[in-house]
Amino acid sequence: MGRTRSDMIRGTLDMLILKVLSVEAMHGWGISERIQQISEEALQVNQGSLYAALNRLTRRGWIRSEWRTTEHNRRARYYQLTRAGEKHLGIEHEQWIRLSGAVDRIMGLSS
Amino acid sequence: MRWWSEIRYRLRAIFSRTDAETELRDELAFHLEMEARKLESEGYEPEEARRLARVRFGGEERFREQARDAWGVSPLLDLGSDLRFAARQLRRRPAFTALAALTLALGIGGTVALASVVEGLLLRPLPVEDEARLVTFWSPYDWRGSEYDFVRERLRAFEDVAAYSDDAATFQAEAGARLLLYSVGSANFFDVLGSEPLLGRTFREGEDRPGAEPVIVLSHGLWEREFGGDREVLGRRVDLGGVTRTVVGVMPPRFFFPSPESEAWIPLDLDPASRDYGGNGWLVLLGRVADGVTPEGVEEEVQRIAAALGERFTYSAQWDKSRNAFATPTREALMGDVRAPVMLLLGAVALVLLTACANVAALLVTRTSDRTGEMSVRTALGAGRGRLARQVLAESTLLGAIAGAAGVVLAAAAFDVLVASLPLPRELGRTLHLDWTTLAAGVALAMGVGALISLAPMHGLLRGDLTRAGFGLRTAGGGTRGSGRLQQALVVAEVLTAVVLVTGTALLMRTVGQLRSIDGGFEPEGVMTVEVILPEGEGADGGPAFFTTLLERVRALPGVTSAGLTNRVPVRDGGWQGSLALADRPELEGDRRPSAFYRPSSPGAFEALGLELAAGRTFTELDGPDQPLVAIVNETLARTLLPGQSAVGRIIDRHMFHEGPIEIVGVVRNVAVDDLIGEAPMAIYYPWDQTPSGAAYGIVVIKSELAPEGFVEPVRRIVAELAPRAALGRAQSMDDVLDDAMAEPLRLRFFLGLFSLLGVVLGTVGVYGIVSYSVQRRRAEYGVRMALGARPSDLVHDVVRSGIAPVVLGILAGALVAWFASSVLAGFLFGVEPTDPASLTAAGLVLLVAGVVAALVPAMRAAATDPSIALRD
Repeated sequence: MGRTRSDMIRGTLDMLILKVLSVEAMHGWGISERIQQISEEALQVNQGSLYAALNRLTRRGWIRSEWRTTEHNRRARYYQLTRAGEKHLGIEHEQWIRLSGAVDRIMGLSS
Repeated sequence: MRWWSEIRYRLRAIFSRTDAETELRDELAFHLEMEARKLESEGYEPEEARRLARVRFGGEERFREQARDAWGVSPLLDLGSDLRFAARQLRRRPAFTALAALTLALGIGGTVALASVVEGLLLRPLPVEDEARLVTFWSPYDWRGSEYDFVRERLRAFEDVAAYSDDAATFQAEAGARLLLYSVGSANFFDVLGSEPLLGRTFREGEDRPGAEPVIVLSHGLWEREFGGDREVLGRRVDLGGVTRTVVGVMPPRFFFPSPESEAWIPLDLDPASRDYGGNGWLVLLGRVADGVTPEGVEEEVQRIAAALGERFTYSAQWDKSRNAFATPTREALMGDVRAPVMLLLGAVALVLLTACANVAALLVTRTSDRTGEMSVRTALGAGRGRLARQVLAESTLLGAIAGAAGVVLAAAAFDVLVASLPLPRELGRTLHLDWTTLAAGVALAMGVGALISLAPMHGLLRGDLTRAGFGLRTAGGGTRGSGRLQQALVVAEVLTAVVLVTGTALLMRTVGQLRSIDGGFEPEGVMTVEVILPEGEGADGGPAFFTTLLERVRALPGVTSAGLTNRVPVRDGGWQGSLALADRPELEGDRRPSAFYRPSSPGAFEALGLELAAGRTFTELDGPDQPLVAIVNETLARTLLPGQSAVGRIIDRHMFHEGPIEIVGVVRNVAVDDLIGEAPMAIYYPWDQTPSGAAYGIVVIKSELAPEGFVEPVRRIVAELAPRAALGRAQSMDDVLDDAMAEPLRLRFFLGLFSLLGVVLGTVGVYGIVSYSVQRRRAEYGVRMALGARPSDLVHDVVRSGIAPVVLGILAGALVAWFASSVLAGFLFGVEPTDPASLTAAGLVLLVAGVVAALVPAMRAAATDPSIALRD
């Protein structure tokens, strides 16, 4: 529980989940691990919010889930991206680039 | 597509909720296990790893909550808890719940039951083709064959006109002789109706003319009962009233005309050579309007026909067909004048339902206001207004559902009673039933009612400032003033409807009183009447002897004071009338002959019925077949045809089957013929033994000190012994006959009275509710006033006055509405105006007294307030 690891920026969790799932189908724990790994532990996924987000995304039809067996022969719910989800990820990503670009420009003002 | 995945998701969440919960748990377990395994690999002890995994996850319950929120099922889960809470609330106030549910149930049940009657009578199509084009001519059961042929030759706006009537005769069935009710129709009867047979054919042209083979068309019911539904029935011969008829057709099951009572149809016998042809008015004319003719065109045609009839025939003023001519939609003609009373009752019961709604709404408003504190607390704890409103809705919906269930049960239980007590032709009532659509409508109605009554409290709830109300309740009562006004308005509405209902009841009560005071011209007490019918063949030969012997044996029965024979029961049976020729009155000859009812009567019949003579003598045993012909006329005839002179001793030349000279030997006081109201039409009585028709039909009239009903079986036994092929018809005491004649106002009075009582009770409860609520709210004020020296009587006065204000307003408004609305009752009233001031006043007084009583109870409570309450509250 290192304090250095910042909490997830609001609203980005959905996008990150979609991005992770766009690579391959994965279960909930795997998603949170992947996000932490890739961000080099910079991003800490609140695990309760993770499942709420997964539910939300399922409800919107951007991801769907099914029970599969893991490589360790355990039953787990795997999530995967739908068509609509792919499309939505594109939109989110674009918005993110615009937003983060804007933030960068503002932050770059003083230097 | 999003909405689709959303719906699928939610449906799954609702319908496989346990599955979803299980999956959620499994998924969670998997996650924790993976996390723990990872921690273990980082060097933690297994136990510690599991604990840490759980800590990191941060509260399983919260996770579940979030997931459930995401499923979007919480409003539904809330609904369950809302309903449970509502049920607890309702259980905590059993009196309130019972009263509210009962009043709503009565309203809903009554509305549902009457709505099915309306459906059956007014909406369900008649079993004929293109009903809208079928009209019935004025003067039903009063047209002669000659008039029918005359009318039929002059049609322009009508495609065709048929004639029919009803009759009864003995039918030799497998199980012995029985009375068969059937209809007689012109050859085009079925064509005008546009009805096709199930088997065989209907009437052919010419079959209603002399010389035709006697045929019969069976109803589906008769075919099944008597012939076992045998398809080989066509060509079979049956004995109807002593005439052998060939079965030529069977009608489909749904067909009935003119009423479900008719079990078969035979052709009329329109023979210009027969005396019947020009003598008896007994037919109904039924016209099919030609294509493209407007109602105005029909009206014009009808007036034209009437004028032509007036030129060709002569009518007595009482039965003048050339005046007041009109064509009635056939449904109305068949169903009697049921639309008006049924719609009236439906209107009344709907008023009761509305009143009940207003009442329950007022009660709920009161309770919601009382619970403002509770609501504020719940708001403070985070309940949204929507949630609070849902709570109110749940409560009233539950109330509506309870009331709806009770109402539907009530409707089902009371439906037959209701139908039996409606002023309907008997058999027609049997075609009515509650069906599932009406019951479903009832359930929908109950739900609607629930939603409706929740509007009032919800309105206050959503508008009022809950946070302030919670604290301001006691000091200012500011948050409740609006709802107080709403309650007042509801009470005004309740009183208004109650006044309207009570006024209607008062009017009908006066009508029944007036009807009872009418002198029908006979003594009904202890009089029994029994119809006896012989097959025609036996009537001709053995009829007179049969009836003479029958009468002798009946007179010998123990307890019989007097007995006689006649052919019609007063008030009930109109019967035949025929043209009449008086000696010395040549101006009344030919077609201008007046018409008089025909009443053969044996000695003893006048005594048994209690008829009074105005002049002359009654019939005796001496007025036999070989004696001089005599007759007795009624007062109307004497006054109309022989004004200012003595009728006794005058001579009748011809009347119906009778060829004169017939000496008038007496004048009898008028007897109601087929209606209690109005002056009796002309009638002539003949000695039973001098009627030349060979009586095949008679009514035994028995006067006794014993119960009249006890004579039916003895008469049946005697008849069976004397003539096995004879059948018994209707047996009815004269008291029942009279009740039947007043049935409509009596039944309407009963139902309106019931509804009024409900209305008054509801109004009273409403006033009580509002006054006691305001008293409770102002307890502190009363305490202060008591402490300052106010007398209890001042407080009572004050409270009653403020409580009675909406009542007075409601009475005034109700009287105004009743003044205008009671004209819908006009057709049911007799001897009293719809705007009868006495009835209006009575209604106002009833409500005023009820209002004062309702306000007095809480007022007394206010007066008993302990002054120290001002300090405590």
